[in-house]
Amino acid sequence: MQPLDYIAAGIQAVIFGPAAFELLGVPVPLTLVMVFAGVVTGILVGATPGLAGPMAMAISLPILISFFGYNVEALLPVLGFLIGIMKGATLGGAVPAILFNTPGTPDAYMTTLDGYPLTKKGQSRKALKVAHLSSVSGDTFSDIALFVCAPFVALMVERHLDFPEKTALLILSLSFIAAVIGGSPGKGLISVALGLIAVFIGGGEDFYPRLSLGTDALAGGFSIMTAILGVLIVGAVLKEYEDLWHRSNLSGTCERIVDNGDQRLTRAEILRIAPYIGQSSIVGTIIGALPGIGTTLAAALGYQLGRARHERRRPEGAPAFGEGAIEGVAATEAANSSVSGSNLIPVLGLGIPGNAAAVFIILATDSIGGFTPGPSVFRFSESVVNTELVLVFGLFTAMLFANLVNWTFGGAFMRAATVMVRAPKRTLLPVVLLLTFTAVYAQEPSMESLWFTLGFGILGYLMRKVDMSPLPFVIAFVLGGSLENSARQAFSATGGDPYFLFSSWISIFFLAGSVVTVVLALRQKRTDSTQA
Amino acid sequence: MYRLNIYIGTGAVLLALVGLFLWIPQDTGTGLIVRVRRQVSIGDALAPTIAFTLLAIGGALLLIERRKHSSTDVMLAPFLHTGALVAVIILGLLLMRHAGPGFLLVAEWFGATDTEYRLLRETFPWKYIGYFLGGVAIIGGMASLSAGRLQARTVLIAGVVTIGLVALVDVPFDDLLLPPNGDY
Repeated sequence: MQPLDYIAAGIQAVIFGPAAFELLGVPVPLTLVMVFAGVVTGILVGATPGLAGPMAMAISLPILISFFGYNVEALLPVLGFLIGIMKGATLGGAVPAILFNTPGTPDAYMTTLDGYPLTKKGQSRKALKVAHLSSVSGDTFSDIALFVCAPFVALMVERHLDFPEKTALLILSLSFIAAVIGGSPGKGLISVALGLIAVFIGGGEDFYPRLSLGTDALAGGFSIMTAILGVLIVGAVLKEYEDLWHRSNLSGTCERIVDNGDQRLTRAEILRIAPYIGQSSIVGTIIGALPGIGTTLAAALGYQLGRARHERRRPEGAPAFGEGAIEGVAATEAANSSVSGSNLIPVLGLGIPGNAAAVFIILATDSIGGFTPGPSVFRFSESVVNTELVLVFGLFTAMLFANLVNWTFGGAFMRAATVMVRAPKRTLLPVVLLLTFTAVYAQEPSMESLWFTLGFGILGYLMRKVDMSPLPFVIAFVLGGSLENSARQAFSATGGDPYFLFSSWISIFFLAGSVVTVVLALRQKRTDSTQA
Repeated sequence: MYRLNIYIGTGAVLLALVGLFLWIPQDTGTGLIVRVRRQVSIGDALAPTIAFTLLAIGGALLLIERRKHSSTDVMLAPFLHTGALVAVIILGLLLMRHAGPGFLLVAEWFGATDTEYRLLRETFPWKYIGYFLGGVAIIGGMASLSAGRLQARTVLIAGVVTIGLVALVDVPFDDLLLPPNGDY
């Protein structure tokens, strides 16, 4: 098959795949229905303070797998739903930030700086329109970057990296994530180490399951679902509840919003914000391609660069950043939304998740089977059909459809989602917890798994409590098995050479990069502390 | 955070030492390197050894990271509040696990049935008893604890929400088991 045939096959897998129902005798593709449902869910979840896209992805994944089963046909509908949530949540996060000065997602914090002043000026609908346009533009730009870059990254990796280099690359990724997340390389390394220890329990090649303390409960190891949902979701719920205890429930004190003046977004205004959208889209896309950095930094950088530009070109009398400038909303929303597509470059190109949402994409493919994200996915085989490549192009089609939904209906859904801001957190968070337990049980029908989930939840809470990011833990848990297998294969392939990691310049370069990343982060930390 | 970091760093180093010198040597089947039929391969102990070494390095880095001596206090009250929340969740999970079989015991005692729970786990109302009571305890308990008072309205909302979850999760999916029915 030629590359164009693969693209056509991917589109066909979505359009002519299983139908959800018939509309006037025309079958409606299941994948497209799932993408649509995912986008709507994502916008609603993003608009609810205290909830986040990864929470919805975590809860829905086991339930979807139980419904669709473990077969390749389930991949596109399930991944379509998850990607819909990922894209919708970024859009929905702007709603409470603009209307109620409460960011729905952490990366929407910068949106409050100009979005809320606009609301106070009676321009909330205009602010929502700016957020919608910027967010969807950034997202679309990032997706295009993904479609172009991921195959090249994968092909380069496939061509130049063997087992030792792949092992070194995994070490580099983990070091990078440990060094850049959370602002403390020490805590990042502890988080990575705990994730690795957790995944190594009960594993190994010997008959005796290692580190199991001779118990049956630990002999099978911790399942990926209990560890990830526990640390990410249960931990977040416990921490949110503690924060709620500290302050009054913000969601119960909504102000009445009164709009006045023209709420339309004029052509002149679109042209005014276009350079900010473009600049932030590039920044967000570059940041998104690096594992672990995430949307919050992208939003902050996009905002700072936008402010610098605005200061240079601001006309007399126009509001500055922080005073209700539509350019401020555009710069932030374009930056945080343009992370989502490029975040999948390391996932699809290398099989390395860069953020929580990407972890669930990997988890979905890992659970369902038939698709292993990594360089081999992009092998354009002419003689034998590479079904994984067809699935990738199906996934790209689903992403494009999600963008189309966001472009066309996203604005209306954003306005409708304002009702979610009033959802009482005190009831909502325990519901999320119960749904998480239900989702874990759906995947692993044993009460033991719920106890493990709670245990990991307490660990996740404690990590958040001491300002240690749980994301390195999760990524280390996901990559730990691959790292060990890759090292075993590299060791065997080099004939038991103990220095296999130093067998090529590429792997030495990756290893040196791992050390340099941690050292630089440590020096930066010490400089910051000295200046403070 | 400064003193807290010292505690975390020290704890990480101590845990790493326990792992490296007690847990791994006592609890792995093979060492760092294994030789089987003249083939040398990586043993089961190598990966956890590297993980515990990373833990020690992380702890040591945390100890040498210079931090501003701003806040040294760790408030106990939030921990106690979260401890109470966890206790409510544990109570909810215990109810979820034992309520159904418990009710069956009572029914047997009154002579209403002599069937074991495993045979009833997919029949109404037995399949829902544990999930419903556990769910109400978790949602109602956590919401009441956070509000600082127990209200009939909260319990009612918890009941309605749990029924809603049953309708959302169990009714459309035939193969999906609600807790604790998969354990039987």
